[in-house]
Amino acid sequence: MSELTLLWVLPLGGAVACLVAGRFGRAAARTCALIFGAAYFVVSLAALMPFVATRGVGLDAVGGAPLAFGVSYLLAADGLSLSLILLTAFLNLVCVISSWENDVPAGYWANFLALASALTGVFLARDLFLFYMFWEATLIPMFFIIGLWGSANRRHAAVKFFLFTFAGSVFMLLALIALVVAKHGQTGTWTWDLAGLQGAPVGAAGPWIFLGLLLGFGVKIPVVPLHTWLPDAHTEAPAAGSVMLAGVMLKMGLYGLIRIALPLFPVYAQTWAPVLAGLAAVNAVYGALCAMAQTDLKRLVAYSSIAHLGFCLLGILSGAAQGVAGGSLQMINHGITTGALFLMVGFLYERSHKRGLADFGELANTAPWLSFFFGFAMFASIGLPGLNGFVGEFMCLSGISHSPIPMLDVPFFAVAGVLGVTLAAAYMLPAYQAVFWAPKGPESVSEHVFDLTFRERSILWALCGLMLWIGLAPSGWLDLLEPSVRGLVR
Amino acid sequence: MNLLAPQAALAAGVLGALGLGLARRPSALAARLLALAAPLAALFLLRSAVPGVFGPLVGVDLKGLCWQLVIFAGALPLAFLSSGDDVEAALFLGSVLGMSLLAVAGNLIMLFVGLEFMSLPAYLLVARAGEGDSRLRLEAAVKYFFAGALGGALFLLGLALYYADTRSFGPAMGPLGPQGQAGAALMAAGALFKIGAVPLHWWLPDVYSAAAPEVAGFLATSMKAAAVLFLMRVVSLAPDAVFIRALPGLGALTALVGAFFALRQQRLQRLLAYLSLSHAGLLVIGVGAWAVLGKAQAASAALLFYLGADALMSNGSFAFLKASGAVTRADLRGYAASAPGLAAAFAVLLFALAGIPPTGGFVAELLIFWQAVHAQLAVPIVLGAIAALVSLGYCLSLLRDLYFEEAGSAAPAAPEGCAASGSRVVVLVCAAGTLALVLAPLFLRGLAGSVWR
Repeated sequence: MSELTLLWVLPLGGAVACLVAGRFGRAAARTCALIFGAAYFVVSLAALMPFVATRGVGLDAVGGAPLAFGVSYLLAADGLSLSLILLTAFLNLVCVISSWENDVPAGYWANFLALASALTGVFLARDLFLFYMFWEATLIPMFFIIGLWGSANRRHAAVKFFLFTFAGSVFMLLALIALVVAKHGQTGTWTWDLAGLQGAPVGAAGPWIFLGLLLGFGVKIPVVPLHTWLPDAHTEAPAAGSVMLAGVMLKMGLYGLIRIALPLFPVYAQTWAPVLAGLAAVNAVYGALCAMAQTDLKRLVAYSSIAHLGFCLLGILSGAAQGVAGGSLQMINHGITTGALFLMVGFLYERSHKRGLADFGELANTAPWLSFFFGFAMFASIGLPGLNGFVGEFMCLSGISHSPIPMLDVPFFAVAGVLGVTLAAAYMLPAYQAVFWAPKGPESVSEHVFDLTFRERSILWALCGLMLWIGLAPSGWLDLLEPSVRGLVR
Repeated sequence: MNLLAPQAALAAGVLGALGLGLARRPSALAARLLALAAPLAALFLLRSAVPGVFGPLVGVDLKGLCWQLVIFAGALPLAFLSSGDDVEAALFLGSVLGMSLLAVAGNLIMLFVGLEFMSLPAYLLVARAGEGDSRLRLEAAVKYFFAGALGGALFLLGLALYYADTRSFGPAMGPLGPQGQAGAALMAAGALFKIGAVPLHWWLPDVYSAAAPEVAGFLATSMKAAAVLFLMRVVSLAPDAVFIRALPGLGALTALVGAFFALRQQRLQRLLAYLSLSHAGLLVIGVGAWAVLGKAQAASAALLFYLGADALMSNGSFAFLKASGAVTRADLRGYAASAPGLAAAFAVLLFALAGIPPTGGFVAELLIFWQAVHAQLAVPIVLGAIAALVSLGYCLSLLRDLYFEEAGSAAPAAPEGCAASGSRVVVLVCAAGTLALVLAPLFLRGLAGSVWR
């Protein structure tokens, strides 16, 4: 078995092993999840190492003989794929450790490992049939994670999440089929190979195909008119579920854009860019404004994700080297930062069963570690210089203002972006103040909140260390991402 | 004689079952074994069958052989679930025999014989098989009979008109005149009646929901496969028949009607009936695409794959009703907590019915959509996609009942006995098979060169 196959088979095997271990009790399943999660993390790190040495250049691939229907088992990895897989493996491990004390059945751990497996497949697949298979397969574990272990309104949120994202994907699938059929018309052979589909003569159907792809990826990102599933899903999911949702699953949309939609349709990528960038700018501002209006801390973080993904999208669409690299770095950053924020909101919720901004106050007294880490992650999320968010956002905005694409270099987009950054401070700081520093209200449950345990602190040290590392020395990460992205988005 | 060996095995099975009835106390075990052995033997004999012609009536072609494969495979679960009644076994085997005669029909007369042969026992099977109140089943059977008789009559009328125009019971030599056009359209209407395409679908939900679950599964799989083949045979008669152009639209409409009507259903079997209707719509779109693409092998392979996957999904989900004893959606609440294995199998089947990867249902739906895109049927495709979305909606809400809700006060008692444990096996095997079908690109790669060019 090749290393790339191992990358997605290992967590899947872990999921099955957890179910089997569940027969011997919940502790066994939990241990099993930890072992497989750690092994998966080590393997993904090992897979990334050669790329660190070569500064992200090179390609690792598994190619198979074509199977029926023109499908083939094609996996490939470059710096971008492997960084996202490492992020998946890291956050998966974070999820396992953070839910260590939760009394949950084996199915919980199995779903997380299955999710990690499907996500890894998405980032590896270079055959579009395979890609779509993994893409949809991510929905099933997340559906169960939200529906079984979420909070009060979880049932509704789970169904809504699945239906909304699937609605986008169906049209993406039709677009992929149309692409395959168009290529068949030219060459007379059936193929789903991403590289082989380059330059398919789509003719008049072209805009529709591109639109179908955008719908599929746009719902996942989510781009603003298609975003309504996100606040519900993120808010109702269990803490670890929100971490995976925001940390990795949203990145699938951007990844699909970078890997599939933009390279396959370079012309539309340019001509449609102003419209898409306009939507991205709306994302950045609208997401921030919505976050300002929230009274629920978790919902606030959820809306902040919409705003942040707007920055990523702006950077990627810019077509400038700096913007594209910044956009992909910001994907990683957002996974770490928002993951940490969701995790801490989850810790708060586990202790008090409250999430409202008005439910706490003076938490810094009772839970100093929590307030330290929350402040840290919050500043990273706002984009304080020296932390990871600043690097990513700065590069995105600088990229969009130097964009080689006509009509993208107008100041409007950069200004909207800056407005989004400013608003980030305007929703984050008051929330932080209300929860951790403001005087307690009559309904306050702050005294029930005990401080972070050693286990929780260790996870957050790791996350915050990464924020600092990327913030101070981003060049290593950029070297990994930039070469693979540069060839894809022009 | 090798040509008709599967049919001979089935006929022997019918005679055997009738012979059992002569005994003073018919053995239930023998009836069960017979009902299982005859289709299995037919399947086995199919392996050595080769295309050929036997007089004007019988013409065995590759499509007929492949379709028999699906028909027999789809019938196996019913054999497994049968109650051991010798008359039921005879009726069931007779119906399967009719289907396989339809599959090897060499001309329109034989096609009609096959049609009636498969339908008549099926009417009786609906009325007879099952437990509890028989009035609903009788009503459904009568309704089914009238619908079937009407369909048969339309077909005969069409046959007469077609013959008057072309002087042939086979494919038309030249372009069809107005008489022949009308005849072909009427014959197609007869086939669409059997498939249950809108607006000829009114009998289907009643029949599927009143019949015993295993019989409904049989109708939704083997009978549907035979009806699709029947439609394809009619389409093959004349490439310039006008009705062919209406097929994708009718299919899309059927898919939508099935999907939207299922939304309101509380009774599970009726819900599955509408779901099956929605799938039938997709199949009709597929037949339309097949016709547009000049009867390409790849398109008929797609239809065959869809029917094969459906044989697992539909049979499995109907068998689940029998295995769990669940009648309404409320009965499903919290079922996963009491029977995790069976619930997981049903969840797999539901995902497959909704066409979600990684299940065989996804591959099947993909292949049909693929052919439709290839045939450039833009509007039916979009309507079909909407229908798929709607059906996902209630598949998810069933899963929600199954997994996320707490059990109600009156949980259904799990049925016991031989048929119930048989049905559990069927559910598990069907779910496993549906999952395995996702590897179709792998194990069908031998065919890739010949079919999927």
